[in-house]
Amino acid sequence: MAEKIKLFVNGVEVEVEAKKNLIDAISAVGIEIPHLCYHPALGADGNCRMCLVGIEDGRPPLVPACKTPAREGMKVLLDAEHIKKIQHDVMELELINHPIDCPVCDQAGECKLQDYYMSYDQKESRMTVPQVTKGKKLDFGSGVIHDQERCVVCGRCVRFCRQITKTGELGAINRSDDTRINIFPGRPLNNRYALNVVDLCPVGAMTSSDFRFKQRVWFLKKAPGICHGCAKGCNITIDHNRQKYEDDIIYRFRPLLNKQVNGYFICDEGRLSYKQENDGRLIEARLSTQPRSIDEILTASTKEIDRAEKIVISLSPNCSLEQMITIKALSEKLGATLTGYSEGYIKQDDGDDFLIQDDKSANRAGLQLLEIDNSRDTFTGAIREADLLINFNNNLLLSFAEKEISKLLKGTKVITVTSHDTPFTTMADMAIPVASFSEYAGTVVNSDNILQSFGKAITKNIDLDDISGIAARLGSPLQTPGERFAALQQIISALNGFEPDNIPAEGLKLKESEAANVTA
Amino acid sequence: MEVKILSAKFDIKDAHKIEVAKEHGAYSTLDKLFSMTSAEVIEEVKSSGLRGRGGAGFPTGVKWSFLPKDTGKPVYLAVNSDESEPATFKDRYILVKDPHMMIEGIIICSYAIGSHDTYIYIRGEYTTQFKALQAAIEEAYEAGYLGDTVAGNNFKLNVTVHRGAGAYICGEETALLESIEGKKGQPRSKPPFPAVAGLYGCPTIINNVQTIASLPFILNSGADAYKAYGTEKSSGTHLFGISGHVEKPGMYELPLGLPLLEVIEKVAGGVLNGRKLKGIIPGGSSTPVLLPDEAKTVTLDYESMAAHKTMFGSGGIVVLDETVDIVELVKNLIDFYHHESCGQCTPCREGLGWMLKIVKKILSGKGKMDDVDLLRELCDNIEMKTVCVLSAACTMPVRSYLDKFRHEFEAYVTTEDFSAAEAKEE
Repeated sequence: MAEKIKLFVNGVEVEVEAKKNLIDAISAVGIEIPHLCYHPALGADGNCRMCLVGIEDGRPPLVPACKTPAREGMKVLLDAEHIKKIQHDVMELELINHPIDCPVCDQAGECKLQDYYMSYDQKESRMTVPQVTKGKKLDFGSGVIHDQERCVVCGRCVRFCRQITKTGELGAINRSDDTRINIFPGRPLNNRYALNVVDLCPVGAMTSSDFRFKQRVWFLKKAPGICHGCAKGCNITIDHNRQKYEDDIIYRFRPLLNKQVNGYFICDEGRLSYKQENDGRLIEARLSTQPRSIDEILTASTKEIDRAEKIVISLSPNCSLEQMITIKALSEKLGATLTGYSEGYIKQDDGDDFLIQDDKSANRAGLQLLEIDNSRDTFTGAIREADLLINFNNNLLLSFAEKEISKLLKGTKVITVTSHDTPFTTMADMAIPVASFSEYAGTVVNSDNILQSFGKAITKNIDLDDISGIAARLGSPLQTPGERFAALQQIISALNGFEPDNIPAEGLKLKESEAANVTA
Repeated sequence: MEVKILSAKFDIKDAHKIEVAKEHGAYSTLDKLFSMTSAEVIEEVKSSGLRGRGGAGFPTGVKWSFLPKDTGKPVYLAVNSDESEPATFKDRYILVKDPHMMIEGIIICSYAIGSHDTYIYIRGEYTTQFKALQAAIEEAYEAGYLGDTVAGNNFKLNVTVHRGAGAYICGEETALLESIEGKKGQPRSKPPFPAVAGLYGCPTIINNVQTIASLPFILNSGADAYKAYGTEKSSGTHLFGISGHVEKPGMYELPLGLPLLEVIEKVAGGVLNGRKLKGIIPGGSSTPVLLPDEAKTVTLDYESMAAHKTMFGSGGIVVLDETVDIVELVKNLIDFYHHESCGQCTPCREGLGWMLKIVKKILSGKGKMDDVDLLRELCDNIEMKTVCVLSAACTMPVRSYLDKFRHEFEAYVTTEDFSAAEAKEE
């Protein structure tokens, strides 16, 4: 436990964490100190002057809260008239040269200037002289569009590129009210985390070319989720909306704070992977290339299973633990060979020392926990002899060339249970559509052995079953979510004492021994 | 009234050359210096009452004693030669006419604070000063006063001249450090203070050229000799740059504590062409103006200036006669500080530009009484809300002009409504 100290805010005693700055310490007990330039991941800069607070009997009596550590007995003044006046005055100065183009600004609805205007200002403009004009819709690269007039020059984006990505593409150039954020000529943002500056920007100065003008943020429903773009398992907020007469569509992923996993950020590739949840999906069952009802194909599949002598079941390293254990139980019941072979999901040397991993799947650690074989030899050996392959969302074309897999699958019936309509889907004899990760609840284990659960964020107009449900209908003994979770608890002792919906938000760190501790 | 302490060699031909300077006593304090302990040197400087000559007037010896002991890090000395405050032109005389006096001062200070590396930060445009200074430093190296064994003593000292790119803000001590480090010159938040974490995160003392140049005399003649000049709390002498509407503008060395009006009358020859005095800027453009009546009781020292709600500043005295248009002056003033704002803190970045536009509007004849009030209010809203005091360097004098010469602003104000006409134009 962190050390606690007592201090006074507006004369009321509160207990806060020692050593934190006043913004963080006091916000933990629900008291807001307005700030624009400070960000916990980037540290204090002290330029916006919004967080100036009074310290009674303090020397100096006026301090920036971001730069001031909480100390025992400190008497912090926030509601004193002179502090409220400073907040108003700073807001007035922030706004005099701001275009106040909220009606056409993407940030509207999640803009600190709007919020703080309502909380700390609410005065009419006294600006009767011409405003400073600066650059608009500047393409900074990597999908970042910059508006220098909306900018409050807090420098978060500059600090992000210097401290976090260490690429330093951005700088504050010029002086005075001519100060503006810019790139070096011909040197745009060129790092794999660039779009984080859009989230970091407290105002509408940094917008994403992918998201801008697509949706007003107040229409967006926000649901927590886990990015399935790689093995890091970054926590995300899934912003989605179902417009009238339309389907539930995801408009963007944003990072969701998880200090144990991804901190405040996500990579751009993961951020833009939301598109794969919307597009390229399989929504109908198929017999070869002909649409059929899901029930029809399931019945046909069951017949194939009954008829088959040697079955191979393949599954994706993106499957949740629940899906994996349901498939494993099905495999055991059918006496099939179970394989998680998915080498193609690994891009050697693509990862970095920050968030991006080589392994582009979300739950390979789960395969290991459940002792599911993922060797190439097992896969190819079993496939050669098999007369039926049931493939659960494993895109084999990532691991094999098309010719190679066609040759291997010669004489083998293929049932594919898939969320996406890939070229492999068209190679299958039967295809069954399933929910993708934003549409089901589940649990995955990341590359750092952290187990994280996520809920169902999206409900499509056609609300497809997830892989567990299909595996159950194909005969897996684990028929209900409760049974599946109980089966997982048998294997992963860290889950004991938890229910699927009360796994801590920051995840459960599995011990090294736990990962190896597969059922005896 | 004039004295010759700092300016002793200013009138000697070629005193910037080491052989001439040495004939007239340069580097003669070094034997005494190295026979003393560093603590004794600091004590001597403390008891001399020498105060920082950059403008703030903080006691120099006390500043030195803030250095933490035994940090395991090098201690740096940075000499502030950015001299950018409008109306200030004292340090340039030292650098051009007697640079060895400053180098000797650097040796004294470095020995006292245990520093072996000095950076002299000089404004980029000052090519004359830079050339003179650089030549003197090379001479000093040649003569063995700088380098591995200073004057044959077991003391190493290297001096590097760093030329800035011409920014007023780089005279602010932490912006100066940022600039030396190769970054954009923007002041740092304090704490930590430079004495604790300064240049490259190491303990650093930053002193003004004139402060450093005062050290040879203090060490040579002793603290008491220095204290013989000036007042009890403002001891010693100061280089005053007197400009504006006077008969004999120029740089004069005077003991502190002389009556301001007497100095203008007797030293600078009085107001130009016998015109009427309108006001006096006592110590550089950032110090609040004094009315003739107020000036009657002002003496040239830190305490008297503070008692008259202004500041001693840099010793750059500007005399304003009756022909001065205060509103134009204020426009000029804000224009300067607006241009020089580093753009870091919101109030200064946005506020000074707004103030400039308002005063321009008033000058154009389209200003309203509300604009004068707003200008006055903005002074209060901006001042002391920022990392450094640049904004205050603008708002403090502007406030003084608004309060003392309000009628001049009001004379420009109109009651006519231009908004309809402007709308038509558009």
